Amino acid sequence: MIEQFTARAEAASAKVHAVADEAAAVHLVDSLRAEKTAAGLEVGVVRAAKGIAQTGTCIVVTDDEDVRLKTMLPEVSVILLDAADILPDLPSAAPFLRAEQTKGSPSYISFITGPSRTADIERVSAIGVHGPLEFHIMLIGGRP
Amino acid sequence: MSDSYKRDIKAALNDSFLRRTLDKFAVEYRAGRDRVFSEVDERGLIRRIADVKDAAAQHTEELYARFKEEAERRGAVVHRAKNAAEAREIIAAIAKENGVKSVVKSKSMTAEEIGLNAYLGAEGVEVNETDLGEWIVQLRRERPSHMVMPAIHLSRGQVADEFEKATGREQDHENVDKLVKTARAELRPKFHAADMGISGANFLIAETGAITIVTNEGNGRLVNTLPRIHVALAGLDKLVPTLDDALTALQVLPRNATGQRITSYVTFIDGATACAKSPSGRKILHIVLLDNGRTAIAKDPLFSQIYRCVRCGACANVCPVFRLVGGHRMGHVYVGAIGLVLTYLYHDRDAAKKLCQNCVGCGACKDVCSGGIDLPRLIQEIRARFAKEDGEPMMSRLARYAMRNRTVFHRLLKFMRFAQKPFSGRDGFVRHLPMALFGKHGFRTLPALAPKAFRELWPSLRRNVENPRFRIALFAGCAQDFALPHQLVAAMKVFRYFGVEVDFPMGQTCCGLPLVALGEKDAALDVARQNITAFAGKYDAIVTLCASCASHLRHGYPKAVGAEAEEFSARVMDFSSFVHDKLDVTEKDFARLGWKVAYHASCHLCRELGVKDAPRALISAAAHYTPTPEEETCCGFGGSWSVKFPEISAELMRKKLDNVCSADATHLALDCPGCTIQLRGGADQGKRAIKVVHVAEVLAAALESGEKDDNEQ
Repeated sequence: MIEQFTARAEAASAKVHAVADEAAAVHLVDSLRAEKTAAGLEVGVVRAAKGIAQTGTCIVVTDDEDVRLKTMLPEVSVILLDAADILPDLPSAAPFLRAEQTKGSPSYISFITGPSRTADIERVSAIGVHGPLEFHIMLIGGRP
Repeated sequence: MSDSYKRDIKAALNDSFLRRTLDKFAVEYRAGRDRVFSEVDERGLIRRIADVKDAAAQHTEELYARFKEEAERRGAVVHRAKNAAEAREIIAAIAKENGVKSVVKSKSMTAEEIGLNAYLGAEGVEVNETDLGEWIVQLRRERPSHMVMPAIHLSRGQVADEFEKATGREQDHENVDKLVKTARAELRPKFHAADMGISGANFLIAETGAITIVTNEGNGRLVNTLPRIHVALAGLDKLVPTLDDALTALQVLPRNATGQRITSYVTFIDGATACAKSPSGRKILHIVLLDNGRTAIAKDPLFSQIYRCVRCGACANVCPVFRLVGGHRMGHVYVGAIGLVLTYLYHDRDAAKKLCQNCVGCGACKDVCSGGIDLPRLIQEIRARFAKEDGEPMMSRLARYAMRNRTVFHRLLKFMRFAQKPFSGRDGFVRHLPMALFGKHGFRTLPALAPKAFRELWPSLRRNVENPRFRIALFAGCAQDFALPHQLVAAMKVFRYFGVEVDFPMGQTCCGLPLVALGEKDAALDVARQNITAFAGKYDAIVTLCASCASHLRHGYPKAVGAEAEEFSARVMDFSSFVHDKLDVTEKDFARLGWKVAYHASCHLCRELGVKDAPRALISAAAHYTPTPEEETCCGFGGSWSVKFPEISAELMRKKLDNVCSADATHLALDCPGCTIQLRGGADQGKRAIKVVHVAEVLAAALESGEKDDNEQ
């Protein structure tokens, strides 16, 4: 599933960084942030609750507006995902979604797959419309 | 048909940018779609969507009640609007109550349906579209020409011009990326300044009161996050019972819409989450559910299936006519085949009347529809209703009178044979009919009626076969019987060679499909019964060389006639399937011809009957099969359709013949006399070095050359 997740996420223009553990992920995020900030780009970092192998998707609980905006406004979006949280396909996400939507407070769940994109002008694929231009996944324990 | 609409069609055909874009898209879309659907059970998913939505259509009230209860328990306010006016007023009232001055909006076809922007504008509220394509058409004061790609009719240069006007700054006329960045920069402040966001919704999930929004650009999430108020507008047909149902449809919607496994963003919102800008600290969330005729349609036994539509736009993506004329002539609010139907049901019956004449009935839309909606049948029914309301045109009346009575009909055809004599050439084409009769049909020569119909040749062709492998009855169909009997004669050679005994019941008549097309249901039923009686004998199969007849005899009869047709219909086979599947013909049976044979897959054969491999295998066995691009795209014949829109028909035909000629084929084989008339006539008129033949003629020729070889040895 890790391989499929990686291949499908990259097919959707995400950059997947396989890292051994949390510490390695944090280290890589720090250096990425430094690099991008120096280039004048904003970086938003959040943590995914689940992944979906078949589509290369990260599922992020974004009930909190600040967390949500971190995935929307900055040019560079970084998501931390534990490889153990990868589900096989969309239907297998139903129990997670149901639990979130019946937890007793309203929820806003985001399925995010790659950077924002459009093909609205002459069907030319363009990356980075209203959301991130770059999309990085730190896949923890994701070394195949 | 109004002249202005015809002029409009003509202008579209002359718009070379639009044509190039849509041509390129048609080919790339197919390839992308096939790739992502190969990873899932396409037919199984479509079936499940159809079942879920069919059930939802019958339980709208329960689903609505549950949805409202769950959503309101989570702090949303759920409204129900009877019609467009009510929906507009509800949303305007929300704006007024909250002192809203500016709105950011993400894509919503339902908002287009109710004319929301104009209404809010008149109320003094500024509305900014934020989907890139929608923003472009808003700047141009146009309407979307496609449900998923609203600005597909525009070039980057046109977009740059528009952006220059909007921003007052010079724009790059070549670089699409830079234009996209202009939109990002220009719209960002509007998101921050807006008081209210308006979005559509793709699914309304009853079990949790959640709405699902499927997007790519990221504007949808900004629209429902940055302003303090979020209004989601959706049709009642978007209700589904469970999360599982939404996730099922989500496996099809992006694949069908854009060839993506999933879009960049899929958002699930259940209730009013925390919101810093809102005085109460919670989002002000209103969900407006629009009826506008939907619950009435849910009760219609035929049209209720439109509930299955998930607005993916695939029916436009594969439509050969959409590809030629674009969305502005192929829909009113909604575009594509579903657009024709929805325009009739919800919006503008006058517009629908024109639009419905666009459908060539090729069935490509039905084949890819996310919910398996039988779109050609619905469009057919709408035409029939218009025909009834208008009173029958002369052609319909004549056809009904003549075709109900086989003897009168066949006598009429024989009379036409004499009447055409002064005009027909020796090679079986009508060339010199006065142009007054031809109108704009000069793009193809029409076949002359043959000197002798097949039914007149039959006594000299019939043979008794000793110990036949099969005993079949041949169904000729009018076009082959009277205009192209040589195709049947070729088939007789094949049957004889492979030990098949053939009967030709003389009581047979037209299959009735042209009557169905004219909306003459009763007369169609009459001829169906005549044929069922004529073929009551003990035959292993009823074989026809006409794909359209085959599809109507097999699928149309049981629907129209009911149980008494089932035994008959189950025995009907098309020629290629019979020869390939039953006779187990292989290349060893033939002396292979030197012909390079391209194949045209007739709509009724490849989609209605699902026959794809048999004819190609037969051609490969008897000659050199030469694959060509878009074999399964309609040739533009479409029965009586090409009479109404000759310009479009001619373009479809030209494209088909261009594809064949560029592959250097010597022959073009097919399984349908209708397609033969179109393509043979087009090849003749365009003086193209290609022979258009039935698959039976390829096989017969290969058998004949084999016999000759035997004699020489």
